[in-house]
Amino acid sequence: MGPVDTSPAIDMPAPLAAGELCRRCDPAQFAFASTAELPDLEGVLGQPRAVSAIEFGVGIRREGYNLFAMGPAGIGRHTVVRRHLESQAQAQATPADWCYVYNFETPHKPRALRLPAGRANAFRAAMERLVEDLRAAIPAAFETDEYRTRRQEIESELNARQEKALEAIGARAKEQGISLLRTPAGFGFAPVREEKVISPGEWSELPEDEQKRLEALIEVLQGELERAIHEMPKWRREALRRLRELARQVTQAAVTGLIEELKAEYAAEPQLQAYLAAVQEDVLEHVEAFRHTKDGETPALFGIPLPQPDAAEPLRRYAVNVLIEHSQARGAPIVYEDNPANDALVGRIEHISQMGALVTDFTLIKAGALHRANGGYLLLDALKVLTQPFAWEALKRSLRSREIRIQSLGQALGLVSTVSLEPEPVPLQVKVVLVGERLLYYLLHAYDPEFAELFKVAVDFEEDMARGPESDLAYARAIAMLARAEKLRPLEREAVAAVIERLSRDAGDAEKVSASMRTLADLLRESDYWAGIAGRAVISGADVRRAVDTQIERADRVRERLQEHILRGSVLIDSSGSRAGQVNALAVLQLGGFSFGTPHRVTARARLGTGRVLDIERESELGGPIHSKGVLILSGYLAGRYAAGKPLSVSASLVFEQSYGGVEGDSASSAELYALLSALAEAPIRQSLAVTGSVNQHGDVQAIGGVNQKIEGFFDVCRARGLTGTQGVLIPQANVKNLMLRHDVVAAVAAGKFAVYPVRTVDEGIALLTGEPAAAIHARIERRLSEYAEEARAWRQQK
Amino acid sequence: MKIRRIVVRLEPRPAGLEALAQLAEELQAELLALFVENADLLHLAALPFAREVGFPSAIRRSLDSAAMERSLQALAAELRRVCDAALGASSVKWSFRVARGSPAAALAAAAAESGAATLLVPSGADPRAAPVVVALPQLTEALLRELLEGKRPILIPEAAP
Repeated sequence: MGPVDTSPAIDMPAPLAAGELCRRCDPAQFAFASTAELPDLEGVLGQPRAVSAIEFGVGIRREGYNLFAMGPAGIGRHTVVRRHLESQAQAQATPADWCYVYNFETPHKPRALRLPAGRANAFRAAMERLVEDLRAAIPAAFETDEYRTRRQEIESELNARQEKALEAIGARAKEQGISLLRTPAGFGFAPVREEKVISPGEWSELPEDEQKRLEALIEVLQGELERAIHEMPKWRREALRRLRELARQVTQAAVTGLIEELKAEYAAEPQLQAYLAAVQEDVLEHVEAFRHTKDGETPALFGIPLPQPDAAEPLRRYAVNVLIEHSQARGAPIVYEDNPANDALVGRIEHISQMGALVTDFTLIKAGALHRANGGYLLLDALKVLTQPFAWEALKRSLRSREIRIQSLGQALGLVSTVSLEPEPVPLQVKVVLVGERLLYYLLHAYDPEFAELFKVAVDFEEDMARGPESDLAYARAIAMLARAEKLRPLEREAVAAVIERLSRDAGDAEKVSASMRTLADLLRESDYWAGIAGRAVISGADVRRAVDTQIERADRVRERLQEHILRGSVLIDSSGSRAGQVNALAVLQLGGFSFGTPHRVTARARLGTGRVLDIERESELGGPIHSKGVLILSGYLAGRYAAGKPLSVSASLVFEQSYGGVEGDSASSAELYALLSALAEAPIRQSLAVTGSVNQHGDVQAIGGVNQKIEGFFDVCRARGLTGTQGVLIPQANVKNLMLRHDVVAAVAAGKFAVYPVRTVDEGIALLTGEPAAAIHARIERRLSEYAEEARAWRQQK
Repeated sequence: MKIRRIVVRLEPRPAGLEALAQLAEELQAELLALFVENADLLHLAALPFAREVGFPSAIRRSLDSAAMERSLQALAAELRRVCDAALGASSVKWSFRVARGSPAAALAAAAAESGAATLLVPSGADPRAAPVVVALPQLTEALLRELLEGKRPILIPEAAP
């Protein structure tokens, strides 16, 4: 006989048997002694939908078929995705290497060069060698007698031409008694007498006519000299041009020979052929730069320094900036970028400080994650991408345009205005896998129109999986594999059973087991620790239970304090006796990763009124919308059940006593209804029972969450006060499958000291709580409401 | 015949000072770098209509004596610096001198000073080129002016006792 009279006459549900309160995992079903005997699990545990989505997403080679792996953290999204990608990537081709080189036509737009996989470094070395060779070969060409002689010819010719022009003027002047004199800054004309310039005294003695004649003559000569001097820069330019041509001629053989060798080496690469041809032309144009670096002197012509392509490092322009290379790689790359900032994704252009200014060139272009993953796979955390400024936009832009365009954020936003580059974009072919919470996926889907275009494959991970003998064994193999990977002790079969029970409890469902790999790994690590403390070579069931108990112990300070308040009477919760309009409801509190249940007193008062049920929580703005909805449903129940053909002339108020924080959820709506019915019928409710479950307008009791924690919350209070055998909890029938109660609760039920009642309807519940048939309660309420209706009519007539 | 002195006339942007130093070292001769403040230039600057056509700017500027004095002084200082830089490190005994007057007269005077065999090197001439040998008594200013145009060194043998 249970603790309550459940005779069929008053239609009360029977309490659940102890066996129904927790679905045990029987260690005897396992044929192994410890997990050391078990092979690794092939495939992924309990994620068939996600696995097939990954296979599809990886297999399909179409634009926009990028993946979004969604599900709660710790479920193993990264591991599963990576494992699948690795198996695929191995067999795929290693992607090409990429370099940035100088663009001889448009220097601020460095060119991107594609090289076969693993050959970029060799090409860079070949270019370095070429420059070294040119630095030897070009100065050698300038040392030849041919060059020296011809250069001297050109220089002498220019000098002679200039001298000749000056001499001609000097001779004409001399014929007319005037001397051309070289002054410190130019030339001057003066009349001469006896081969000497006339002195000021002699000048003043000359007749005025003679003075005028000489001045006029000098004026003419000065004009001639000016014209001659104006001609000279032209001759100089002409000489410079001839010297350049000479330099080109004498170096051409050496330069062409060396570059042709390199061209032959890379004959199969048309892009490199074009680049090397440009290098050849540029070297011939700037041969002086090679002399400079060889001699350590600035090349000069007639004492004037020649202009240099880049005064600081003239030969830097022939460098090769290897952006990405795969000499050590096999197969397609898989890249995980932990810090997906804009620059970390698309690459960046660094600057160096030179004389207080920031300068850059193509050698300072650095690769981003997209470059590294190009031709393969890129894994990113969705939340991190979204929280990095402009990273999401950069990622979408790259995927949409299928090219990686390096653009510094500061430049794009106009925050910095240093000299920068526009590197040629690199073609992009990558499969991006975003890993994130489901909420992010749905939000992006709803608010970002491009998201659906670019991330067509949703990889939805399950939080839990079905329990059964087959899946238990698969789970045991997963445990074995994880223990080996983490270098933990093997687990006895009892320990495996204890782990499965614990993870079933975590799933909040007797027919399911949690798929959270993080929870599993933590539990195994902690069990291994306790096995170590106990000096065991194998993890036992006791070690797992100790790990679970200590996890709870570390987290349950608040639960203990709350229970202490109840036991000391600060929070009023009765667990014996009866009282009308008062019921024990159950709430779940979640703090950090730990959740626990605790009883709350719900009270109701009723009086004559206009049919309104006053939710004090809502009025005081402590109730959430779902809670308010639950209370409004009660009005619907009352109106439909009792006042179908007449006005509901009652006002009632409902409150969660001693609740000072917010109340949310509708799991207490059945408790509130019982309190209300009890208040209306003036039928006392047994305080030894607690209630959970939501109701609908028809009076059906519906499933709620956290049923295990709620039962245990009331059980703990009752046990602390002493189990009387009359105490118990009413739960929705639909929640029976979720029961994975603690061993002590199960033991108490087995011993007849505690009961769990599965309830389908409000009628069953009110009968259990009041000990009276539901029909009797309803009849009393109807009577009461009729009285109220009469009184209300009387009131209205009086008015 | 042992050359004891080398006298070189300096002009703006002198070249080949190192080569001269080397020659002097080989001959164990002393080297005199002579800058002549040309009297003709000073006269030119003093003329009322004096003009200078800049080279290579071709701009016409008026001249005056004070400005000419200043530029000659600046040029002398610059040449001294150049000599210091080029000859300072060599073991040759060298001196720098500024003279005023006609270049030919100044050179002739410098050559006649010691009576030792002297090599006169006109500005910009190759010091190792075959010299024109002229005995001191025959070295008139007019002849010297003519010889200086030839850009060849002029060897003045030791004066007869």
